[in-house]
Amino acid sequence: MKSAPFDYLRPKTVAEASVALGRRGANTAAIAGGQSLMPMLGLRVALIDLLVDISRLDDLKLVTETLDSLWLGALTTHAAIEDGKVPDLFNGLLRRVAGQISYRAVRNHGTIGGSVALADPSADWPCCLIALDATVRIAGRGGVRVERVADFIHDSYSTTLTTGDIIVGFDIPAPKAPLRWGFAKVARKSGAFAHSIAIATQAKDGAISVVLGAAGPRPRPMTATANQLTAPASSEEQVRAAITADFDAHFADLDAYQKRMHTANILRAVREMR
Amino acid sequence: MTAITVELNGVKVNDDVEPRQSLADFLRDRCGLTATHLGCEHGACGACTVVVDGLATRSCLTLAVMADGRAVSTLEGLRADPLMTLLRRHFHESHALQCGFCTPGMLITARDILQRYVHPNAELVRHELSGQICRCTGYANIVKAIVAAGQDIPHEPPAPEPAPEA
Amino acid sequence: MAVPSSSDSWIGASVLRKEDARHLLGHGAFIADLRMPGVQDVAFVRSDMAHAQVHRVLPPPGTAGKVFTLADIGPLNILEAGPELAAHRHSPYPALADDRVRYVGQPIVACMQPTRAQAEDLADLVELELEALPAVVDAVAAMRPGSPRVFDNWPDNAYIASAVHEGDPVSLGAAPVRLRRQFRMNRQATVSLECRGVLAYWDHRNDELVVHLSTQGGHVVRIGMAQALGLPENKVRIIAPDVGGGFGGKNRIMPEDIAVAAIAMKVGHPVRWIEDRREHLLASVHARDHFYDLTVSVAKDGTLLGLEGDIYIDAGAYSLWPTGSFMEASMASRNLTGPYRIKHLGLKTFTVATNKAPMGPYRGVARPGACFAIERLVDEVARELGREPFDLRRQNIVTAAELPFRTAAGMRLDTGDYVSSLDIARDMVDLPAIRARQAQGEPDGRAIGVGFAFYTEQSGHGTVEWVKRKSRVVPGYESANARMLPDGSVIIHVGTQNFGQGHETTFAQIAAHELHISPALISIRYGDTATSPFGFGSFGSRSIVFGGGAVARSCRMLIEKIQKIGAHLLQSDVASTTIEDGAVHGPNGSVGFAEIAYAANARQEHLPAGMEPLLDATGTYEPTETGGVFAYGTHAVVVAVEPDTGVVEILDYAVSEDCGTMINPMIVDGQVQGGIAQGIGTALYEEIPYDEIGQPLATTFADYMVPCAPEIPTVRMAHIVHPAQATEYGVKGLGEGGAIAPPAAIANAVSDAFRSIGASFNETPLTPRRVSEAVDRARRATATPTPGAPA
Repeated sequence: MKSAPFDYLRPKTVAEASVALGRRGANTAAIAGGQSLMPMLGLRVALIDLLVDISRLDDLKLVTETLDSLWLGALTTHAAIEDGKVPDLFNGLLRRVAGQISYRAVRNHGTIGGSVALADPSADWPCCLIALDATVRIAGRGGVRVERVADFIHDSYSTTLTTGDIIVGFDIPAPKAPLRWGFAKVARKSGAFAHSIAIATQAKDGAISVVLGAAGPRPRPMTATANQLTAPASSEEQVRAAITADFDAHFADLDAYQKRMHTANILRAVREMR
Repeated sequence: MTAITVELNGVKVNDDVEPRQSLADFLRDRCGLTATHLGCEHGACGACTVVVDGLATRSCLTLAVMADGRAVSTLEGLRADPLMTLLRRHFHESHALQCGFCTPGMLITARDILQRYVHPNAELVRHELSGQICRCTGYANIVKAIVAAGQDIPHEPPAPEPAPEA
Repeated sequence: MAVPSSSDSWIGASVLRKEDARHLLGHGAFIADLRMPGVQDVAFVRSDMAHAQVHRVLPPPGTAGKVFTLADIGPLNILEAGPELAAHRHSPYPALADDRVRYVGQPIVACMQPTRAQAEDLADLVELELEALPAVVDAVAAMRPGSPRVFDNWPDNAYIASAVHEGDPVSLGAAPVRLRRQFRMNRQATVSLECRGVLAYWDHRNDELVVHLSTQGGHVVRIGMAQALGLPENKVRIIAPDVGGGFGGKNRIMPEDIAVAAIAMKVGHPVRWIEDRREHLLASVHARDHFYDLTVSVAKDGTLLGLEGDIYIDAGAYSLWPTGSFMEASMASRNLTGPYRIKHLGLKTFTVATNKAPMGPYRGVARPGACFAIERLVDEVARELGREPFDLRRQNIVTAAELPFRTAAGMRLDTGDYVSSLDIARDMVDLPAIRARQAQGEPDGRAIGVGFAFYTEQSGHGTVEWVKRKSRVVPGYESANARMLPDGSVIIHVGTQNFGQGHETTFAQIAAHELHISPALISIRYGDTATSPFGFGSFGSRSIVFGGGAVARSCRMLIEKIQKIGAHLLQSDVASTTIEDGAVHGPNGSVGFAEIAYAANARQEHLPAGMEPLLDATGTYEPTETGGVFAYGTHAVVVAVEPDTGVVEILDYAVSEDCGTMINPMIVDGQVQGGIAQGIGTALYEEIPYDEIGQPLATTFADYMVPCAPEIPTVRMAHIVHPAQATEYGVKGLGEGGAIAPPAAIANAVSDAFRSIGASFNETPLTPRRVSEAVDRARRATATPTPGAPA
């Protein structure tokens, strides 16, 4: 289980990295923490000519709190978030999400940018960032662009990234009041890839949002569910019906077990929030 | 081939490596440090865990070229480390190893746990050991050893949080 | 039988292990740690089809001597594997594929380069022309007429079909209660954390082939390796370095072993292959994969009367040398009555070839499946009769007064108190308290269940048993060579193989007990055919019985001679001397072993007239009862199950077990806990599913779930000690026992959680999906949709 040969470059700037990644006629890949890419190289399912090491680009490491948002550089590691080394504007949600990604040694190196770039349907950060309505900033050959994470990921392992693009970081709008949230996950064992990720949040005005991940090619907001939960005095039957409506709208391929399992997981996240 | 310099167990090592070579293979095959074991080569078993710049690290999920300029410690380099010495004693006394193949990665991970937590309880240790596969012991004695070692470390009451920067 | 006295406390002492120091310092020497100048690595090109004709192999140009097909490494002899029964069909398994591949992962070509990465580069360049053939991936389907054939010249896909007929099964048709149930224990891997590996070279000085191999038994390997390569056995030396777990998975000769050895004989340098995890999950021995279709007959009062039905073992594409997987079926059927007074048996067994990786032994061999089937059946009967499962179990189990007891399937259960074991386990988990908790319901909506499973573990079975099994080698004894060196220190070479069990410690304790010296003066050596007497290695919970017995025998031969020499040096009669603390004591004084040993080895003039020099004795050992001795125990487990996700959490796990006299209780506890962890893996996590065209669906740890610390509880243990009568010190083997009962106990606990709606959980692993779907089916059937309501 050894990688096929490739060339290696460790550029000094984002621009230099972008140029290297855009090298014509070459299969290139960027490596940050490498915690997902390395197994794919070893299994030879990812075959590349050039590996561009972006792990030391300081421009991607910035973490800062703005007036109304949190900026997380793409190279922010899961462990840094888990350990509370980034400002907590979300009442502990980011720490909670980070702390149960894979295993500690993986979290020490795995990055939020790498996770979103890979867009594994069962990954945690896409689900969380969509729930928080974060935007992603991308540097590429055409300059810099900003997209909602919800738009950036358009399918399983598929994003708007094109050759030469590098994720710079994420801008996550701060809630107006302490965020209320619930987070629930179903996995075969500790640290294993999730079979269901549910994040429920409630804003200051009482509006609830629910995002479901690992249920289809990409995480999706459960809008009918959220509306039903926001409505006063919803019965559990009504919420279940709304969840089913969301399944039909966004996750039509789920079988009976998956629907049951995701429903239970969503309800768990909602209960935790309340 | 790419030239790298690694501070390996406290000694500067210069070498030329193939970019594709994992840190684990570099340690084992180029440096002859075979305490670091390979149990899966895809980050799921933890046998290859080493310390890179103070962080517990899967050496199978890191390239040797990415360790350039970093400080790497393996079990061999922690022979005189007081925390590791304590852990070795408790692993021995608690029968926390059978075939011994997972043991180096377990010890590195255990040391990392005790560096981050004061007197961790069994539940916390179990959670932190997630991702370290031991196929022989059923983990109970590993958890016991780490908890006991944690109890043996005298800890000052935590210092007050430094005032936030202005 | 030597009875330990209080003054000889090495038997029964939790001596800390001699093995630990090297591993704790990172000085273990596993196969991949060996450094051999000039070694080159092999990577195999493996079949990506389940069943195919191999039309052509096209190596890249200029790679002669680096790319090896079967023709390039031959001529080789094909080992005939499986029991020595005419009815067992031969499945010739070449080291590299001939014109046919029969499972995904079968090695076809070996590519050799200075590094493994380069060898994989070369392997990527080899082109294969394969023509897909119809594959069969299910043992039951494989036995239907018209199924594709794994071997063209077989009339059907059965390696062998057999039957067990005891008592009067025809009478069972009239039984008042008859329940038919199907049970499936799915296929899994053995997953030693160290994968397999082999390093071979021709040693020109000794003019022999040296094969370093991660194996559980080098001597037996040498027999097969020499036959395959056409070498006399004195030209083959097998060395096992530190072995990073085996669990059965390293107890067969595998094609890669032979291929690498054959290549080493063609080239002038060492050659090695280190299995990676994907290869391990793909093509190392697979295990379990049992299907049971059983009908149990019961009297109105709950007396279990008999069992009828079929057992299918999916043995995969080839039999592995020496014994194949025939024992799976015979042991499954022979253990199916468990510890119960079941009188009538009418069973048919089918050991079936399919286009899946070959099956090998794995901790517990067949008994986890048999235990799963019978113990689930007991609970199903209890539910049918409205009885407490524990009580029904207790009603039917053999009592202490009935032991020794011959089961309907012919097993002679020897010593113990099975009822006590049940009662202790019941009290450990506090059955009434759980029933009360269930009545209250759980605030989180989960369902609580308690399950019990009783197991027996045959160990120390000797010549008669293995001959009955038609085994190709008959591991009916074990050997040890004990030498006292001139300074009085001792080296003992044994034929068993330590791969985590702690033989260096426990065998030293036995020797210390016999020799009246400290274990610190005793070194236990193993794993090299050049130095140890012939032995069969470690498997089948045999080492403490056979290996321990052989150590005792050889040490007794030594001590007898030591005493004679001591008496002579003291100018006393042997009868007036005693042995204590490393010295012979007589009426006129004492003489230490060092002085005696120096005389025996280096100053023969001090020996009694006519006595041969040396303190060097080789002893062999076989227990007096060769049908085996039976460890046993009760597993009791409490689970919480979330019905909609199907996630199972283990809340409590307790065991009451009897492995006879414990040489080292600390190591016993470690074996029990470790075995249970593997059993929990079988019960809840581990599985290698295949799709309908024979593609395996779990080839990395992303898909194959090995439980970690959060998944495995600390097991609470109680030990009942009823020494065996047929073994040294009264020991019974125990290595496998922990792994046998967890699937049954956990499935019973999950079933108990949903007994009010009649849900049954009869297929392992109990994945969240399987659990939730079984609950859902039961809910629909009962049409009273109260989710997860405990009874």
